[in-house]
Amino acid sequence: MLIDVIRHQFQLSGTKFVCGAGVCGACTVLVDGAPVASCLMPAKAATGKSVTTVEGIGADDLHPVQRAFMALDALQCGFCTPGFIVGAVAFHDLWRKEHGTERPLRSVVAEALSGHLCRCGAYDNILRAVMEACAGRFDGTGNRSPRVEAHEKVTGAAKYTVDIHHDGQLQGLILRSKLAHARISSIDLSAARALPGVGAVVSLLNGDGTVRYVGQAIAAVAATNWKTAQDALDAITFEYASLPSVIGPESALMPGAPIVFSGRKNDVANASEGTIAPAPWKGNLRGPTTAFSHNKRKAKRWITKAREAADPLLFEGTFKTGIQQHTCLEPHAAVARFDGERLIVQVSTQTVEELRKKISKRFKLDPANVQVIAEHIGGGFGSKGGLTDELDAAIRLSREASAPVQIVFTRHEELSVTGYRPGASIDISLLPADDGGLKAISLTARADTGVAVNSTIAGLARLIYPAQAKNLADFDIVSNLPPGSPFRGPGAPPMAFALEQAVDEVALRMKTDPIALRLRWDTNPMRHRLYEWASNLECWRSRINLAKSGRYRRGVGVAAGYWLYFWQPGSTVELAVKNRRLVVKCAVQDIGTGTRSVLANTVAQAFDLDPGEVEIQIGNSDFPPGPDSSGSRVTASVVPPTLLAIEEVKARLLEESRGTHAGSNAPWRERIAAAPDFLVTAKRPEDARDNIYGRNSLLKEAGIVGTIFSWMLRRSSHLVAGAGAPSSVQVIEAEVDTLLGHVTVLSAHTGISVGKLAAPDLARSQATGAIIQGLGFALYEDRAVDPTTGEVLTAGLDDYRIPGIADTPSMDVHFEEGGFDHVLGGGVGIGEVATVPTAAAIANAVRDAIGIRPMEAPMKPDRILALLEKVKPA
Amino acid sequence: MTSRSNIMDAVEWRAGSTDLSERRRTGISRGPITDLIPTPEMREILVVAGEGARIGSSVTLEAIGADKRLAKTYPGIAATVKLLATPQIRHVATLGGNLAQRSRCWYFRNPNISCLKKGGSDCPARAGNHYYGVAFDLGPCIAPHPSSMATALLAYDATIRTDRRDGLTLDALYGDGSNGSLDHRLEPGEVIISIDLPPAATSEFATYERAISRAQAEWPLVEIAARIIVKDARFQLVRLVAGGIAPVPLRLVGAEKAAKDALAETDIFTIAAKAAIEGAKPMPMSAYKLKLLEGLVYDVLEQCAEASAGVWIDKSIPS
Repeated sequence: MLIDVIRHQFQLSGTKFVCGAGVCGACTVLVDGAPVASCLMPAKAATGKSVTTVEGIGADDLHPVQRAFMALDALQCGFCTPGFIVGAVAFHDLWRKEHGTERPLRSVVAEALSGHLCRCGAYDNILRAVMEACAGRFDGTGNRSPRVEAHEKVTGAAKYTVDIHHDGQLQGLILRSKLAHARISSIDLSAARALPGVGAVVSLLNGDGTVRYVGQAIAAVAATNWKTAQDALDAITFEYASLPSVIGPESALMPGAPIVFSGRKNDVANASEGTIAPAPWKGNLRGPTTAFSHNKRKAKRWITKAREAADPLLFEGTFKTGIQQHTCLEPHAAVARFDGERLIVQVSTQTVEELRKKISKRFKLDPANVQVIAEHIGGGFGSKGGLTDELDAAIRLSREASAPVQIVFTRHEELSVTGYRPGASIDISLLPADDGGLKAISLTARADTGVAVNSTIAGLARLIYPAQAKNLADFDIVSNLPPGSPFRGPGAPPMAFALEQAVDEVALRMKTDPIALRLRWDTNPMRHRLYEWASNLECWRSRINLAKSGRYRRGVGVAAGYWLYFWQPGSTVELAVKNRRLVVKCAVQDIGTGTRSVLANTVAQAFDLDPGEVEIQIGNSDFPPGPDSSGSRVTASVVPPTLLAIEEVKARLLEESRGTHAGSNAPWRERIAAAPDFLVTAKRPEDARDNIYGRNSLLKEAGIVGTIFSWMLRRSSHLVAGAGAPSSVQVIEAEVDTLLGHVTVLSAHTGISVGKLAAPDLARSQATGAIIQGLGFALYEDRAVDPTTGEVLTAGLDDYRIPGIADTPSMDVHFEEGGFDHVLGGGVGIGEVATVPTAAAIANAVRDAIGIRPMEAPMKPDRILALLEKVKPA
Repeated sequence: MTSRSNIMDAVEWRAGSTDLSERRRTGISRGPITDLIPTPEMREILVVAGEGARIGSSVTLEAIGADKRLAKTYPGIAATVKLLATPQIRHVATLGGNLAQRSRCWYFRNPNISCLKKGGSDCPARAGNHYYGVAFDLGPCIAPHPSSMATALLAYDATIRTDRRDGLTLDALYGDGSNGSLDHRLEPGEVIISIDLPPAATSEFATYERAISRAQAEWPLVEIAARIIVKDARFQLVRLVAGGIAPVPLRLVGAEKAAKDALAETDIFTIAAKAAIEGAKPMPMSAYKLKLLEGLVYDVLEQCAEASAGVWIDKSIPS
């Protein structure tokens, strides 16, 4: 294929391989000036034609499209960016030839780029960038960007783990189970080892050799090329006994269903980021976990009484949410190599520092002899958080082969065994008090977690809308399917889908404005400010005038969401003056969220510099320990120590320049240039005790259970839950085509409270990207499995449908800064909270449009049509 | 008796390779490949006023969509191309390749699962997840036929010329769905040379619509191609072909009959839409497709009727 020639023969790694099916456009190149998917084009077909890759665009001088992408931050992780650039350049050049500097319509750009997908959801800025470039706004020079690594990403120079190539590097492949449940009694690797070109073959089985899902790793091989590795996989033989399996939650709960985990359950995968607490098991059902309940019995009693009395204000219903795959465009990938005693791994990970510890523990290596490097990461969203199979296998293979080994997952592997947001069935009861307050809430969530446990959905309803009593129970239903895992705001979007729709429904029954009801029930002062903002939106105020009859019906919905404010203790930042420049070092990583820019902005602002003047070195575990990129903890973990380091460096610079020609008013730039090399390090300090939330963290406010949970988090997950809650209130307008069941999100207004913004443009990008992911969760994304074999059917990007560029609504992002003054720097993370209320707000908009409530997500055409059948006049 | 291996190891022609490359990569196709060397006639579009058109099989979908002569006489073809796949795909995918592409069924495309189209003895989608399956169960395989162009071409009564045969109808090309192992009935090694379109009336209106979940670039849940002539407020010609609902492109004879000679008005749209689903045999998970089919029939009849009456409908969503 053309892409193989480009990437391997010419070693041009800007062209990315993602879907292998012509769906995503990451591999787009120009052939005789026209964009084509190089993953599908035979190399032969390009004979005698001119081929332009991203490296050939703007090689001398950036193309206006590249400048526009940089200036308007039309990228996040950057993995899809080269493909988008190539496609957009082709469109731009043709447009300019035919239309001059007329600005194209958004829909025209969207149609032209329909063959490109971006999982971070940078679409809003991509559309703006292409439109503005066409309008001639970026014809000049200059390459400024709010994202410090943007230049590398728009030129294809940024190297990801899949792009790494060392001399003598072998390719690794993993042999996976084709059965959903089996016990492998013996495995014979000798025939595979004997094949010429095979460097290593290792077993990945553990314990008693039981495999519990299709796709579970059995063994791995490393060979000089893919074909040989594939032959080696085929040469592995094993003896096994097939065991009865159970696929999916319904079958798992049938009487007499085969049991997935019998006996000890020590090593069961964790579907969330929280600690696994003990819980009862009954067959394949784990739970309930009810620690976050409050006056549980009262809640049950009051709700039963209200039900018996047919209280018209009591809302009860069962909501269902689908399984959402992370769908990172850069698949899970790792390269491992040994340099004497020292192990160096390059890996697409969210947890550089944590991996160093985990690797040294599992492989019994001195932590000082383990280096983990992740320069650029093509998306993570929660799925790249541990010592996962690709890395484990690469290390084992490299050790055996005494050669560097790279493993890159196929799209099939990426979309089947790398984790997902568990689907859930959520029973909710919401009972208002006679005075209009909130009396009781009951949520029981049953999550479809595959072979993982510890989904926390219902429990999250504890920390919003205080009620007199709450009964919150979480269950996991395990079956022989791949393990669920943390995904952006684990548990929160499903919880909000149920709770925020229930609140909406009760508001309707109480004939109260849904925002007014939230103002009454919610106590968070920052969300109060967001509600005020929301209630003044034109789209909210004029919603009554929207068409509620005819084929196309419109509605507006509101929903609120929160996430915990987390930070990671021990996070340390080094700030140095080196060769007349400021250099920041931290073993944190940038998965597209903007960590580099947060650090650069923080330092640059303090020294009156341009962020580009500050050198940021991250993504390397040799640097001072940094936080994981998960749970929205990064900003609040790295900014405070950076600020402490800044103060120290400033003091030192003042000291150095005392008595020299640089006067007391000399700019920092001059002082830095005149200073000798030195460095300081600073550790994340504790937060100030006084804050507007009443001293304690949100968790501790929840009483003794919260305090224990906080302690466990700090101990085992290195997480501190601080005071206050990152919050989001979203107002969304949607249109329903009642003939074809299609939902279009027209506009999304997202109000966000995460304190002071360390990188405002990038915060906006996070907010709009979160809307896109929430929109996918609400409307399209639905992993499907074969109920007999347990094979994942949605293992390609044709069938697993993430949002496309034309699905982008008009976006309005509003920040309520403040509220986090107790945090040094005043700001906390945004990643999770921004996606929490989206699906619920869309559902409430659909309810407003068609007069019936969508109880299931994704709201695909079949479900919308089924709802409309119910309200059809007889 | 066909074994799994010899079906997957069959010789395949390679045209634009937008379908084949993926199947090679996943191992669904592993036989020898022969690159098509298009003859001049396979590369050209001929339109002769009053006589019809001939489209070479190696003409790309992009070129077909951009051809002004075709767009004028056969607007349904251009409308289909516009909604099909993505610009990158349309740039290299050929008409012949589109007609002869293999099924998009997720069981067929999964290398770990056996199925009729891979030499297996039954269709795993029947007892499995057939959300994207057919709503007219005509044969052992329940995957809908993937070619949108076939839907449009059947509406125009196109015929196929191959290196061995002339005048092959689309019905003959695709059969009746009773052989679940095939996606078309070309003989091994047979090559499509061109597609012939009979003349179309200048007074006719034609369109193509598809129901999908996202805004664009998605395989249709259901698709429909329509040709309509309205004269004196009555339907004089009604030609409706649906895709996404059967193992072959399906003419909606019942709906055509219901509308023919009737007044082009709302009641008739509804009656025709109901008639379109007569005889359907949906699978448990695919019954929703019948509602979509009804909706699409109603939609295209309304569009065509209003366009014929000179009413301009703006279907775009204001932003």
